[in-house]
Amino acid sequence: MTFLESLAAGFGLVAQWESLFFLALGVAVGVFAGAIPGMSATMAVALTLPFTFALDPILGILLLLGVYKGGIFGGSIPAILIRTPGTPASSATALDGYPMAEQGHAGKALGMSLYASCIADFVSNIALIVFAGWLAQFAMNFGPPEFFTLIVFSLTIIAGVAGDSLTKGIISAVIGLLLATVGLDLIYGTNRFTFGNANLMGGLNFIAVLIGLFALPEIFAHVRLPRERDGKVRGLGHVGVTLDELKRCLKSIFRGSLIGVFLGSIPGIGAAPSAFLSYSEARRTSPRQANFGKGEIEGVAAAEAGNNGVAGATLIPLLSLGIPGDVITAIIIGAFMVHDLQPGPMLFQTHADIIYALFIGLIVSSVLLFLIGSLAIRGFRYVADIPPNLLAPSVLVLCIFGVYAVNNSAFDVGVMFAMGVLGYVVVLLRFPPAPFLIAFILGPLLENNFRQSLLMSQGAPEIFVRGPITWTFWTLTLLALAFIIRSTVANARFKRRLREESQRHGDRDSSSAD
Amino acid sequence: MLSRRDETLIGLGVMALAIFILAYMIPNWIVVPRNVRLIFLSPMFWPNILGWVLLVLGGLLTLRALLGTAPPEGQADSLAISRAEGLRLVVMTAMLVVIFFAIPVLGMVWTSMLAFVATVLLTGGKRMGLGVLVAVVLPLALYFFFSKVAGVSIPQGVFVRLP
Repeated sequence: MTFLESLAAGFGLVAQWESLFFLALGVAVGVFAGAIPGMSATMAVALTLPFTFALDPILGILLLLGVYKGGIFGGSIPAILIRTPGTPASSATALDGYPMAEQGHAGKALGMSLYASCIADFVSNIALIVFAGWLAQFAMNFGPPEFFTLIVFSLTIIAGVAGDSLTKGIISAVIGLLLATVGLDLIYGTNRFTFGNANLMGGLNFIAVLIGLFALPEIFAHVRLPRERDGKVRGLGHVGVTLDELKRCLKSIFRGSLIGVFLGSIPGIGAAPSAFLSYSEARRTSPRQANFGKGEIEGVAAAEAGNNGVAGATLIPLLSLGIPGDVITAIIIGAFMVHDLQPGPMLFQTHADIIYALFIGLIVSSVLLFLIGSLAIRGFRYVADIPPNLLAPSVLVLCIFGVYAVNNSAFDVGVMFAMGVLGYVVVLLRFPPAPFLIAFILGPLLENNFRQSLLMSQGAPEIFVRGPITWTFWTLTLLALAFIIRSTVANARFKRRLREESQRHGDRDSSSAD
Repeated sequence: MLSRRDETLIGLGVMALAIFILAYMIPNWIVVPRNVRLIFLSPMFWPNILGWVLLVLGGLLTLRALLGTAPPEGQADSLAISRAEGLRLVVMTAMLVVIFFAIPVLGMVWTSMLAFVATVLLTGGKRMGLGVLVAVVLPLALYFFFSKVAGVSIPQGVFVRLP
């Protein structure tokens, strides 16, 4: 298929009312779920996933992408109105958004957040369209050894989602890799950790694992400490951003969008660092620097642009290489897999129509986000009134039905419960769950490409350094490791210095008290 | 950051898990065919590597906890769970086990309704009236979506069957 033929086929798929309906529904669900304090975009995408099985692949994937886009914007609504960020990345938005709300300009902050989100989202989608096809074309030259080295490099993304302790992040990933080995061995067809149970021969169901890991621990947390919402919802005030204000913020919005595109296309970095970097760059270069943190509208614009700029870019490694850029795209892989689609370079050859339909759908989603977001801003008060003690059981019921529906399997519901308990224990012990999920997805790819490579070379390990592509990935892996080790050591030193300082202060205080 | 004691125990726990995997799980629960030509291709190879990596990381975590700087007194995160919190968590876990076994008997819809009400009661029982209403409506709505729209056969149980 030529580019134009693919584009026309993609357009044919999107230009149906069902596609637009499911995309709009996804954006609405995402904005709604992102706006509920206690829900996150990740949980919203995970809970929507089972509802996509009954749909055509394109409709299901558009629905999920809509939830993803809507969820990221939706997180900024509670961040501004009640200083409870719906997503970690929205914390940067709260820095200036909440002070604006306190001054009675919540509507203005939300309006600017919406403009910045839509523009950044659009820029990010364009970047995706330009770079994904090019990268996929390049990846067509990859064989098993190249994919093995690429996945080894991708596993370094775990450092980006490991949280406070890199060691714990890697342990979490190793346990994910181990659980991915459950089921029939792909080369010999023998059992691995199936304990004689036929349900385990196909491995652990991916959806059950991810919903168990990301939704159930929230229920456990609520059951442990049932709390009422304590933030006070601020009034909206005048909703609307003047043209002058928008013009003044445009530079920060585009800078934030580009930061988002750059950081989003690198697996593992995610939206939060992008939002904070965009915010700090805006503060550094703004003539109204002193007003940042006290209710500066440019701060809201920069943070939201950085936050939403990653949304399209994280799909670049997903669609072109089959590598999830962050936890949400790791979940979106599930939607491809349940429809027997494997994201990666071959998808551009075998299902170019779906790829181009997604591209067009993503562009449309920016417009839908603007329309639905405008309504959501005004309707937030009703969303904020959802009682938390009814939210947790509702999520539980959604999880039960959703996971069962994947394979008509009650066994999967049991797997989800077990993963939920495990997920809560790992959270309690300060192990990050995201490396576990990413490793669980990449595990089978890593092992299969490793073994296929050795089958090809009759056991000669030189195959892993057979050409410039493998060398490039090994070099990138080593560079990434060097960077990770350097930043971990620097971080540890910084923490030690902080601790020593606080200890010194403590000693001084106690001696002066004596 | 957790206290030195907690981090040490976690490190030792990871090492114990690795030893359990290497010494018991892999030899007993991975079937290796006789005709494996290369050790790299054995179904045991990859899990063995991961088991050893886990052991090393557990050791690293333990060493770091023992030799590294501990958080100052009173500044470490606590793993302590109060009696009431622990009890609620145990009841919730037990409830998940009950739900799993109740689905084939009561059906998914009725089990979900009971699970919903039980969770509301477990977390204080506020807004019970609205809770009961949602407990009835939500599972029924999901039942109709999955069974009538998506064509999924939702377990009906042996007592009351839905259309």
